[in-house]
Amino acid sequence: MSTDETFVLSTGSALPGDPIDNTALAKRFGVNAQWVELFVGTRTRHFAVDLGTAEQTHTLADLAAAAGAQAMSRAGLEPTDLDFIVLATATPDTLMPATVNVVADRLGVDQVATYQLQSGCAGAIQALDVGRKLLDDDHRTGLVIGGDVCAKHLVLDRDTTGQPPSELINYVLFGDGAGAVVLSADAEGATMRLDTVLNRFTGLGRDPAQVIHWWGETGPTPGVQAVTEDYKAIEERVPGMAVEVLHELLDRCGWGKGELSFLLPPQLSGRMTQRIVKDLAVDSATEVSVVADTGNNGNALPFLQLDALAPQIRAGQRAAAVAIESSKWLKGGFTLEGL
Amino acid sequence: MAGGQQAPRTAATAVVADPIAVVGIDCRFPGAGDKDAFWDVLVRGEHGISEVPAQRWDSADFHDEGGGAGRVNTRFAGFMSDPDTFDFEFFGISPREAAAMDPQQRMLLQASWRAVEDSGTDPTALAGSSTGVFVGMMSSEWATLHMSDYAGLTAHRGSGNGYCMAANRISYHLDLRGPSTAVDTACSSSLVATHLACTAIRAGDCDSAIVAGVNLLLTPALSIFYTQAGLSAPDGRCKPYSGDAVGIGRGEGVGVVVLRRLSDALADKQPIYAVIEGSAVNQDGRSNGITAPSRWSQEHVLTAAYAKAGITPGDLTFVEGHGTGTTLGDMIEIKALGAVHAGAERKQPLLLGSVKGNIGHAEGAAGIAGLIKACLALDKRVLPPTLHADSESPQLKLAENGIRLARGPVRLPRGTVRGAVSSFGLGGTNAHVVLASAPAVRRPVESGGVGVLTVSANTVAGLQRNIAAVAETVDSAPADRLGQLCHTSNLVKSSLRQRIAIAVTSPEQVRGELRRLLRDADAVAERSKRPTGKPRVAFLFTGQGSQYAGMGRALHEHCPPFRARLAEADAALRPHLGCSITEVALHGAGHDGLDVGETALTQPALFALQYALATALGDLGLRPDAVLGHSVGEFAAACAAGVLALDEAAALVAARGALMQALPRDGAMIAVQAGEERVSALLADEPLVSIAAVNGPDSTVVSGAAEPARRVAAALAAEGVKTTELVVSHAFHSPLMAPAAAGFAEAAGPLPVRASAVAFASTVHGRFVEGAELDAAYWSAQVTAPVRFTAAMAALLDRAPTHLVEIGPRGVLVGMAARAGLTGGAKRLVPVPGDTATGAEFAATLAALYTDGLNPSWAALYTEGQRTPRRLPGYVFADAERFWASAATVRGTVASVVTKEQPGMPEVGQPQPAAQAPALSGDVRPEVRAVLAVVAEIGDYDPADLAPEAKLHEDLGFDSIMVMQLSDRLTEVLRLPEPIPVTELLPRVTTVGDLLAFAGEVLGEQERNR
Repeated sequence: MSTDETFVLSTGSALPGDPIDNTALAKRFGVNAQWVELFVGTRTRHFAVDLGTAEQTHTLADLAAAAGAQAMSRAGLEPTDLDFIVLATATPDTLMPATVNVVADRLGVDQVATYQLQSGCAGAIQALDVGRKLLDDDHRTGLVIGGDVCAKHLVLDRDTTGQPPSELINYVLFGDGAGAVVLSADAEGATMRLDTVLNRFTGLGRDPAQVIHWWGETGPTPGVQAVTEDYKAIEERVPGMAVEVLHELLDRCGWGKGELSFLLPPQLSGRMTQRIVKDLAVDSATEVSVVADTGNNGNALPFLQLDALAPQIRAGQRAAAVAIESSKWLKGGFTLEGL
Repeated sequence: MAGGQQAPRTAATAVVADPIAVVGIDCRFPGAGDKDAFWDVLVRGEHGISEVPAQRWDSADFHDEGGGAGRVNTRFAGFMSDPDTFDFEFFGISPREAAAMDPQQRMLLQASWRAVEDSGTDPTALAGSSTGVFVGMMSSEWATLHMSDYAGLTAHRGSGNGYCMAANRISYHLDLRGPSTAVDTACSSSLVATHLACTAIRAGDCDSAIVAGVNLLLTPALSIFYTQAGLSAPDGRCKPYSGDAVGIGRGEGVGVVVLRRLSDALADKQPIYAVIEGSAVNQDGRSNGITAPSRWSQEHVLTAAYAKAGITPGDLTFVEGHGTGTTLGDMIEIKALGAVHAGAERKQPLLLGSVKGNIGHAEGAAGIAGLIKACLALDKRVLPPTLHADSESPQLKLAENGIRLARGPVRLPRGTVRGAVSSFGLGGTNAHVVLASAPAVRRPVESGGVGVLTVSANTVAGLQRNIAAVAETVDSAPADRLGQLCHTSNLVKSSLRQRIAIAVTSPEQVRGELRRLLRDADAVAERSKRPTGKPRVAFLFTGQGSQYAGMGRALHEHCPPFRARLAEADAALRPHLGCSITEVALHGAGHDGLDVGETALTQPALFALQYALATALGDLGLRPDAVLGHSVGEFAAACAAGVLALDEAAALVAARGALMQALPRDGAMIAVQAGEERVSALLADEPLVSIAAVNGPDSTVVSGAAEPARRVAAALAAEGVKTTELVVSHAFHSPLMAPAAAGFAEAAGPLPVRASAVAFASTVHGRFVEGAELDAAYWSAQVTAPVRFTAAMAALLDRAPTHLVEIGPRGVLVGMAARAGLTGGAKRLVPVPGDTATGAEFAATLAALYTDGLNPSWAALYTEGQRTPRRLPGYVFADAERFWASAATVRGTVASVVTKEQPGMPEVGQPQPAAQAPALSGDVRPEVRAVLAVVAEIGDYDPADLAPEAKLHEDLGFDSIMVMQLSDRLTEVLRLPEPIPVTELLPRVTTVGDLLAFAGEVLGEQERNR
């Protein structure tokens, strides 16, 4: 029964409230719905904030616990069956306690190892990598969660008319949510096998293309924008990095592109993802993307893709996932086989 | 002479015992009001030791640091909170009897109820079963206080006393027929009780067992004894295996576990805390004095238990020790443990702890406290810390003995983990029980579907408390578990008299409804019911015209029994139709250019849906008392009545539809707002037009050749009658149908004669018919005969239905009946209300019938993956009434006063129980008022609390003794010349209302005789 393999027992997801479509977004922020549709390619997203009242409706802990609980109940697991929890997020509810520990409490889990990864779009892959490596003789089953809540960055009383697209885009690109998987060293009840995980920092000497600041008691640093992105650099570099990741994954597994049944491409935005899929050129595979419906919810994305993949993948079918984090240029990806 | 080293002479041949599962737990211990709080105390390393409350005894009176004669050297012990509260009403015990009862009995009753619930079982479902009851207890200080008060000795005080009664009372109130016994082996009582219960289950004496331990400190007597024996810790705290240990601190509590064969528990998918693999009990025999422990006997009891469990000492990860914190006791225990475990093969030393560090020495409940701790540890895979481990006694040489104290919570390893529990009695009776973690069984959930969440209680106020508890669980449960929670609530929480049910479609919806109920106290009173009987349900099967593409689709998706039954109907119809009627009805598929709107497919589609709906409701335990079908609806009605088999009906309906389809489409049907007579008058000269249906006193349908039919309608319209031409392909139930009727008579052939299992109200005859009348000729005549709905409905009302359920794709007939004034006050239910149906309406139908007294076979509503019981919170008992007697309230031997505290005014903002109807209203004779006062006095009730429908025996706890008293007192207050014989009285006094009416009659008769 003890193997070096890693199995996915189940998946779970949690998206706050009803989907917000572009028309609703346009009404709230004064952006052009058609522009969003065409140039961003995201149709709907979910927010952990009530756009009407500006009240936060869900915390990251709420969403992460709900996604985790769903994954656990689908696998038929009790809290005591877990040997560890890993949470990846760029937007913890508080710096302390780390949100993962609040999630453990919510799930009724006690006396286990917990880890929280401060991470961006490749965070889910980092979490899977850590989770996979934590499995050993004494740690047979763990919960791995990714999620983000951008409530802190949604300034709802801002007049956005006349703002340049580079600032507006943050309002239309992102969304909130969480996803989870149960990893196990045992195949019993598993739906998928996690074959290989690629997780690599490649940002030596490169400027970050995405910066999110945080401030404490001293308040914001004057003149510093909380969230900045270098979209030009992202558009230039991410597709090429994605192609490199896919090839490396396939080489590791000894698979040809034609053997892939499913492709889980990077989920930057509906539009960017379409472009990257074209570059990845895996015609045989069914694309599993969620970003057009969920918005870019960062650390949740690969888990939401896995949640969408789980009911589709059949025994023997192969899937590859790619995620690129442009903040400081992280490459991420993994391959799976259906059981 | 002390006990020797030799093994006991009886050969302990090692036959490995069948495993027994611990499936339910409830407990209250010092500092812990329930099981979850107990775990928190344990895992956080807390303790519940406090100063002697004034409620028990005046510690100043007895305290003496030096421990002089008659004195106690400590002012501390482990006391539980609220030992005086008791929900007497729930158990149908009168306040008078409750007050005259050892509080230990009351605690056991409530804890037993909750422990059974915790096992995923409705306690009422155990009634009549062979369930055994084994109660360990070693003192009844209540008896000490009361039994020497000879003048105050009442019948109730007699039955309120005694260890036997503590066990027997559980058996009595839960109606359990298995062995029922109390066990007193001093401190090991409740672990010995566990051993005996396992033995009884293995022997087949019972299939499940309630095992309990209880201890309550009402007097300082044992504290004085411990002090005098040099065993009492001055700080009142047991410090097991600690260098700081200075003796015993007493503790109290109640603990109950429910045991079953492991195989039974697994088969029922019950949640399992742990498995008892084996146990042993022995005696010190002639040791170094009757109260001195024996190392040899302890060793033997350990090895005997391991042999029974089929394990070696090295298989154990931990032992929950006896560990009282006395120097000698701890030393001997460690020596015995060390002798068995020191050389054992294991990676880590044996972990050792004792719950006495947390709650004190709970005496009769000590063994069960240790057992519960070990069960929870195995269930949660965490061994709680051993308190005072930081000051481990070096004299015990634990490391040399292969033992280590748990210095903090220890995560237990994966796989099967084993632990054992020790309990040693003061007089030398030892017990050791081997436990293993429950077998790992994964039961993944299936989400989706509809469910019904049920909560029940004995009163509206009880319902409010329990809705709050269930709501908390529903709130924190993952959405996917909702089906399992509904299933469990049906399984465990549905059988009490005051009922409420919520049809559940989504977590948000059910949480919202629960919140509304909790916010608004009146809402619970309004929505819940206290049914007095079972519903009498009539099924009304809709006729043609109600069909639409997509009918039944939502139900098909969400309701497993409907899905299964529709598949049956589909299979029965397929050979006749050459297509799947499910595809036609649910998904709008066509066949041979026809769709569900064409008669040839409309009739089979309606039949299939109706058959599936009626049988699905049957699968859920709803059997109609009567059925009525409108036109083609009569076929599924005949199936429901058991007159037609599915295959026969399917063949008939398919043929009927095909024959009608083949006729020319030249007819018309027109609904007119006029009575049958008025319409008939116009039909005399129209041979091609007839009355197709009489749907109400002012609702008639004419049918026939288009032109003459429209002529009749025009004549009526000219008289100001509203007429509506129906969109139909054919003129059904008209002379134009004659060729189809002829063909149908042939097709129907001879049908087997079957008696109708339920009353069949025929719309052909407008009256009830017997099964034999439903022959081929009937079905043939039905094609052209008018549908006499009004007459049939009127006949149906003779059976006084309480509910009319529409069996069809939308609500048609229930509305028709209402417009015709023919519902007889019955509630109207529509499980499929049209094309907006979500499937929830089916659940709502069941919910309504349940609150009105139906006990559905709920399980059929859920998919296999939802039929997994989850633990729900235990019943929340009323805690407003308190009954108390202790050394603080009883002085000497004569004044054993039991105080019953009346609850104060409810606090502002607290929900108040809905006012009950008073038993007496308006003008009544003073004598009748006096009778009520007598009932109140005998039971010690407040007369205002006595509702007329309260049953004397079940609700008010009137036993034979009290009925005798009642008889005597009635003679008095009614000034009767001689007493009413009890045999005459009994059948007349089921309820308070009956009794008062009876008293009125007796008085009337007396006056007449005067």
